[in-house]
Amino acid sequence: MVLKISEVLKPEAIIMKIKSREKIAVLKELVAHMVANEFVEDGEEFQKALAKRENLESTGIGDGIAIPHARTDAVKNLVLAFARSEEGVEFSAIDGKPSYLIFLIASPVDKKSEYIMALAKLSRLLRKQVVRRLLKDADSPDEILNIIKKNEE
Amino acid sequence: MKFKKVILVLTDPSDQHIDESAIQLCKRFKSKLFVLFIIETSRISRLARLTHKKSETLRKKIEDEGWQSLYLIEDAADKTGVWTSLHLEDGIATTIVKKYIDAYSIDALLVKRKDETKKLFVSSTVPVIGL
Repeated sequence: MVLKISEVLKPEAIIMKIKSREKIAVLKELVAHMVANEFVEDGEEFQKALAKRENLESTGIGDGIAIPHARTDAVKNLVLAFARSEEGVEFSAIDGKPSYLIFLIASPVDKKSEYIMALAKLSRLLRKQVVRRLLKDADSPDEILNIIKKNEE
Repeated sequence: MKFKKVILVLTDPSDQHIDESAIQLCKRFKSKLFVLFIIETSRISRLARLTHKKSETLRKKIEDEGWQSLYLIEDAADKTGVWTSLHLEDGIATTIVKKYIDAYSIDALLVKRKDETKKLFVSSTVPVIGL
């Protein structure tokens, strides 16, 4: 199975300008958006799983990127969301810099391989400086998806 | 002896079976676990010569497998409550490891004991634990 980030990420799961500026508030805003768009059934459980993960490790991976993630049965399938912050959010990134591009990944507990594959693909994609720059400058969810589609292999 | 921060160095996706020992060690010593996967430039060139495949194709495959190894370790560490930080770098292992030891004040280095890791045992400025 070839997993494509551009196929898993839906335009409705993209927030071009997230309002919150603090990590937990950002996660809450993202979760509420996912619940409103019916990607997540149990928002409270999802939020708990993400917060638990955040307490264990820094999901701010540096270079202005954060990938909060969790395996939880609050979702029925692998789901992805993306949010962009103009001011940056403190995600305790290892390089000490705020995160501007936030990708959220969640999968059901029993979909471990799909989940790991998605995290790996996304991490590899976001290591490319040009992709990070294009994502920062994109004007619409469709443009975001096109950038991902063109750059994922 | 206290190990506040340890770094597990991987250079090959098949090294991942040592992750359980690394996690248990961190749990026992209440250590933070930095996991570093290094895509060794020399290894890519050697593999390209042996397999007649393009270096870039091999590098992409190894990077993908490297990230998967990292996230699998993180997933396993999560169950035991061990704090992790994941990293992937391209270059020369000894140079990159030294950079990480200095940058994050690492107390100990964990590596798979094999011929290729001899250089890490010799050059490290912190204790090295072979798993």
